[in-house]
Formats: sequence, structure tokens, C-alpha cells
Amino acid sequence: MDQLILNGIVNGLIVGGVYALIGVSLTLLYGVLRVVNFAHGEFVIAGSFLAYVLFSHLGLPPLLALPIAAIAFFAAGWGLYYVLIPRLSRSDDPELMSFLMFYGVSIAAAAGMLLVFEADSRSIDYTFTPISVPIGPIYVSTARLVALAIAVAISGALAMFLFLTLPGKALRAAIMNPEAIQIMGVDIVRLSAFAFALASALAGVTGVLVALVFPAFNAFSGPDYTIIAFIVVVLGGLGNPVGALLAGVIFGLAEQLATVFLPQSLAQIVGFAILVATIFLRPTGILGSSARK
Amino acid sequence: MTMQPAVMELVNVDVAYHGDIRILRGLSLKVRPGMITGVIGPNGAGKSTALRALYGLLKPVAGDVMVDGKVVTGMKPWKFIDHGIALVPQHRSLFNDLSVEDNLRLACWSFRRDKARVEAALERAYTQFPMLRDKRRDKAGSMSGGQQRFLELGRALALQPRMLLLDEPTAMIAPRISAEIYAFIEGLPAQGISVLLVDQNVRQCVRIAGHVYVLELGQNKVDGGAEDFRQDSGLRDLIAEWVDYRIDA
Repeated sequence: MDQLILNGIVNGLIVGGVYALIGVSLTLLYGVLRVVNFAHGEFVIAGSFLAYVLFSHLGLPPLLALPIAAIAFFAAGWGLYYVLIPRLSRSDDPELMSFLMFYGVSIAAAAGMLLVFEADSRSIDYTFTPISVPIGPIYVSTARLVALAIAVAISGALAMFLFLTLPGKALRAAIMNPEAIQIMGVDIVRLSAFAFALASALAGVTGVLVALVFPAFNAFSGPDYTIIAFIVVVLGGLGNPVGALLAGVIFGLAEQLATVFLPQSLAQIVGFAILVATIFLRPTGILGSSARK
Repeated sequence: MTMQPAVMELVNVDVAYHGDIRILRGLSLKVRPGMITGVIGPNGAGKSTALRALYGLLKPVAGDVMVDGKVVTGMKPWKFIDHGIALVPQHRSLFNDLSVEDNLRLACWSFRRDKARVEAALERAYTQFPMLRDKRRDKAGSMSGGQQRFLELGRALALQPRMLLLDEPTAMIAPRISAEIYAFIEGLPAQGISVLLVDQNVRQCVRIAGHVYVLELGQNKVDGGAEDFRQDSGLRDLIAEWVDYRIDA
């Protein structure tokens, strides 16, 4: 039993690290732009497919796919911002419109990936040496540990950016008081484009990690990650990046430990039970009280 | 005697919410250089809306916003700093989870790479309000309402603006602190800073302003020199009607 619990904790931390990155990118997007990106999961899976193409067609290992995904998705996000978002601001209800628009983007992105990659599930057959590493009595896949290390490194870099640099503080300030940041002389359009590009880059990089951590992905996997992102965002507090990082880990641990103690069918609803309980007991999320002031 | 051009101006401005609910209707006002221009009026007169339209936070559906005699209608709010114009809005404009110093540094965004200028701006704010220096590591949200208002004023002045737009600077502030704030505002023209003061506190606004506009239902009701408001019994009665307060002659 102890072995199972340790296994659950290690797996929980690994998938929790991935969930944290999925959540933090969505919450940054919502916090700064007030847009609900229903296509976030598709952005993540597009990152997985990019890693797949780079590996299977060009022979590039997943670790090399990380910077490529970051740059490619950052550039794509920057362009997409100017194509999609300015139109939303002309609406009377931009949040609802963003939800509907990104629902459309989600369908279009999934259909696009289906056209290119077909419906078969894909995986990256890349193996690290050694294949697994002992942690006490259990063996953990090296690929998953590498993914965890990368998730921790990215989270740390993101936290340093948000808390120690002026542009990072400007992003947080825009979340706290979007009107006030404009009267400070900050061009909110450029800042929002940067936030969209940063969130897209994080989604793309997370997609590479998804390909390392989870056994397979396909064109229809996106909505699963979108739902997880929303759970993490609500759990962490809307627009709170630190809350999202923490919530991702909590959600990952809860999900994986539930598989130790509960039947498989019950374990799957633990995440959603946490979401419902959060909405009822602490609607602002675990760190939500300080998310926007 | 030649009249100096207005620093800022609204010319026949209409502002509408939700399509066609017109909050401002043909409003015109000039912010005169080297003095305090007051804007008063009953609740819902459109005072704050006028100020938001001046600063580009609302786009007029008709009429023009002008700076130094040039039309700038539709200019984005973040551009006004480059013209030496700063705004302290009615509702708190601080970033509560950031430190006092970070709030000041963000105000220096447009020249953030000029370290010497940033440090000089911070020093200016700390000299103006020494309390800010003591609390520079505290979160802005942890300070009292009066202290937060001083931070907002210090942040605006750190930029050495030539014009300051103030919306209800003493709203929900204790009377003792309010008196300090008005004394501070009164001294701004002597520092070369023109002021537009939107205020519910008619007595203080008329006392320190050089020119006063009265707004009603989004339109100009009347305007004149502050002395006119003190001397003219008709104007005094007009104001007494909507604020239940009579300006002392």
C-alpha cells in the first residue's frame, strides 16, 4: 500500500506539473484579456503534434522541440491576437463573445489537426537512458521525471518573470486593475498581445510535455485538457497565476491518489468533485481573494 | 491681453453608453493653463464621464478632445503621459498586491530604461510624501485610504506632469486628510501644474479653483470665474438647489 501511495504521489506531482502549466497559461489569458479561451486544449495538443512531427519526420528529440514550440507558438499567438481579439472588444459582452469565438476556434483547430494527422492516436517513441529511475521502492519513467523537471523550471522562470521584472509586474498589474495600467502609460494592446503570445507559448511547450508524460494523444484530445485547465483556473482563483500553479499540483495529486484509494470509475470524478466543492465553499479559489483588487 | 490656449479642451462632446444613451450632450470645457479649473454638478451630471472622455478612456460619439489646440479625439489613454498629462481617477488606481515602490516604478513605464530618470522620479515622490519612503516595501493595498490617495498623487507627480486631472480626490477620505489634500492641490499651479478638479465638494472646489464649470444632465449649465460664484447670488442659489448647500458670499 505504501508503495502505491508513493507511486500516486510521484505521478500526481508529474501530471500536476503539466496541469499547472496548462492552468497558468489559461489564467494569464483570462486575467489580462478577460477572454475565455475554450480552444486552450487544442493549443496544447497542437504542441504535442509539433513535437511528434519534429521527432518522427526530422528526428529532433522532444527536448529540442521545447524551444521550437515556444518560439513558434509565441509568434503564432502574437499574430492570432491581432486577428481575433480586437474584434471582441467591440462587442457589448466581450467575455461571452470570446467564449463563443474560441469554441469555434476549438472546433476548427480540432478539424484541422484531424485533416492533417487523421484520427489515429499518436505517441512519441523516444526513450531516455536509463528508461526509468528508482525512487525508493518504485521505478519512475525518466521521460516523466524530465517532464516534471521542465515543468518546475518553467514554473520557476515564469514566477521570476512575474514577480521580479517590470514587464511581469505590469502583467500582474493589468490583472489587478486593467484601467489603471493604461493611465500609467502602458500600451494595453501590446501588453495583451504579449500575454496572448506568452500563454500560447506556454500551451505549446506544455503540449510537448503532454507528449512525454501521457501515453498518446489525438486530434480529439484537446477538450480534455481544456476542462482540466478550467478546473485548475477556478481552483486557483480566476486570473491568479500562482494560484493556478498550486492548483495544478493539487489537482494532479488528488487525481492520482484517488486511483489508489477509489475504484477507477470513482477516481475520475474526484477532480470534478473538487471543482464543485471549490465553487460552493470558496468561489474565489484557493488564492483567489488576492487575485484582483 | 492675449489669452493663452487651453491645455485641454472638450468641444461639443457627446458621449454615449450602450449605443445611444447620451451621458454628455454637446459639452464644452477648457482647462486653462496655470490654474485650477473646477467641474461641479449634481450626481449624474456627467462630471466623471467628461474627465474620462478627456483622457481617452471613453471615445466621444460627437465632438472633439483637444490638447494644446490640436485635435486628439480617439487618442489612447496611455499616450497622454507623453503629453505631460496625468490622471488620478475617482476609484482607486493602485495595484494593491504590488509594493508602494513597484506602483511608483510602473508609473515610470514610458521611460523605464532611463534608470537615472526613474530614480529621480521615485525620489520626487518620496520627497513630496515622506510617508511613502517609509512604506515603500509595503503592499499598496495594506495602506489606509488617505495614504493610498497620497501614493496616487505622488505617483502622478513623480512624472513631472504639466497638467493633472483629478476626479473626486477626497471621496471617502477623512476630513483632516482631505484638508491636507486640498492644500496640496492648491499649491500645484505654483509648481507650473495646471489642474482639472472634478469634485462633489463644492465649497472646496470653488474656494481653490480659478474657473468653475457647472454641469447638469451632461450639458454645460453655467461657468465663470470662482469670484463670480462667490459674488453672484443667482449662481449661489443655483448651486444651493442641488447640493443643499450655500456658498458663503
